[in-house]
Amino acid sequence: MEYNKDAHSDHISQKFNEELETMKSHLMTMGGLVEKQVKDSIESLIDGNSELAERAQATDTQTNEWEMTIDDLCTTVIARRQPAASDLRMIVAISKASNDLERIGDEAARIAKHAELLVSEGESPFGYAETRHIGNLVREMLNNALTAFARYDVELAYQVAKKDRQVDDEYKTAMRSLVTYMMEDPRSISRILNIIWVIRSLERIGDHSRNICQHLIYLVKGVNVSHSSLKQIEKTIKS
Amino acid sequence: MGPTMTNVNSVTPNMTTKTHAINLDNIKRDQGVRSLDQETIALQVKDLDLYYGEKQALQSINLDIPKNRVTAFIGPSGCGKSTLLRCFNRMNDLVDFCRIDGEILMDDSNIYDRSVEVADLRRRVGMVFQKPNPFPKSIYENVAYGLRIQGIKKKRLIDETVEWALRSAALWDEVKDRLHESALGMSGGQQQRLVIARTVAVKPEVLLLDEPASALDPISTLKIEELIHTLKKDFTIVIVTHNMQQAARVSDYTAFMYMGDLIEFGATDELFTTPQKKQTEDYITGRYG
Repeated sequence: MEYNKDAHSDHISQKFNEELETMKSHLMTMGGLVEKQVKDSIESLIDGNSELAERAQATDTQTNEWEMTIDDLCTTVIARRQPAASDLRMIVAISKASNDLERIGDEAARIAKHAELLVSEGESPFGYAETRHIGNLVREMLNNALTAFARYDVELAYQVAKKDRQVDDEYKTAMRSLVTYMMEDPRSISRILNIIWVIRSLERIGDHSRNICQHLIYLVKGVNVSHSSLKQIEKTIKS
Repeated sequence: MGPTMTNVNSVTPNMTTKTHAINLDNIKRDQGVRSLDQETIALQVKDLDLYYGEKQALQSINLDIPKNRVTAFIGPSGCGKSTLLRCFNRMNDLVDFCRIDGEILMDDSNIYDRSVEVADLRRRVGMVFQKPNPFPKSIYENVAYGLRIQGIKKKRLIDETVEWALRSAALWDEVKDRLHESALGMSGGQQQRLVIARTVAVKPEVLLLDEPASALDPISTLKIEELIHTLKKDFTIVIVTHNMQQAARVSDYTAFMYMGDLIEFGATDELFTTPQKKQTEDYITGRYG
């Protein structure tokens, strides 16, 4: 049975409503924080701004704390309420999504670290265009994943999963051109390796955003679509 | 040279072997997880209507109770789950103004057929109630009672069956030294297990449990639940419970009933995570009302 979007406001136990509501609003707050962290980390690289890079790394501590807070709340609610059906799926989905957000935070902090290294080595045009392009794509994915979660919008979640394929393709193209740069100018290898790490992290952020959407589809449709093809996901959301 | 059955040491790490592959289907089968259509059916309910006087309490119930599995009936008070349970051993016959249409098939014959001996049916389909009801007799006599009624007189056979039944009900170790003391001196949890022992002593095919743990403390409840789990290899068990977590813990299949209708019936794992009907969802998540 499809998830009732107003479900956590019509429970007999008002306290349980509040707990589920709190859980979701915590996840959204954490999502906002992680989004900002990703934005800071990408901009720190593009603009050569080490202050932003520091901020992105510092934010990671907060992201980790949010993940633990959400996990604790999920554990408590499971222990006290023994939730079933959509309530249970909601808690599982939130717990998993917060885990993915935390990993996105880690990747953002990693990007910021490499950005600091690149800034300290001075200006260079290699790979920035690719970074900017993939960066914009994954930021849009993350933003849409969170919006989809907020609205229980499985159609938007599917669009995010679809976009992940585009990110993967762009990642492969970028890798090819970066390898060419390295072959042409071996002096640039150490610098380009840093860019490769950044692009790799961006691609991972895309994967985690897709995961969040899959957790949402599980919550709304009750079907586990991890490791499913795009076609299978499309079939699930239309069922 | 390849490995042989007698020379297992010849198996070397670098040889290609598929023995490490995990076969999920096998694991699921070992855990007894299968779909309803693969089960053997112990009881089959067909178009069952039940009326208490003018009032219809059950409406065209169709349901298959799988053999050697635990089936739970859940639903709000007055939904008909106890009424349905009592149909399986014709306990409703005792209610004067109760009328039943439809069939319940056991081994392909209708238990409501005129030729069926109700006493014989109740031996094949035993029942345990909410409140433990041991007879004011010794522990031993409680369990032996059904056997004596059946006309069994051999002391050795009775002794053996009493021990088997008490062991089956996980009670033997607690009572073996006081078998001839009054059953009324036992704790509530022990009394309920004694009643289960008394029921299984006559070796029924089906065990009906009507809220068997609702009057017990949490530890006794867990013991009963553990017992249900071990008993299902020998018996088909049908349990009515108000405690949804209990239904989720002990049953393989769950039926959700509401106002005399069977709303949803399916594997417990699925019903409690992804119910198909809104009424089921609302009830198990506490949104009913």
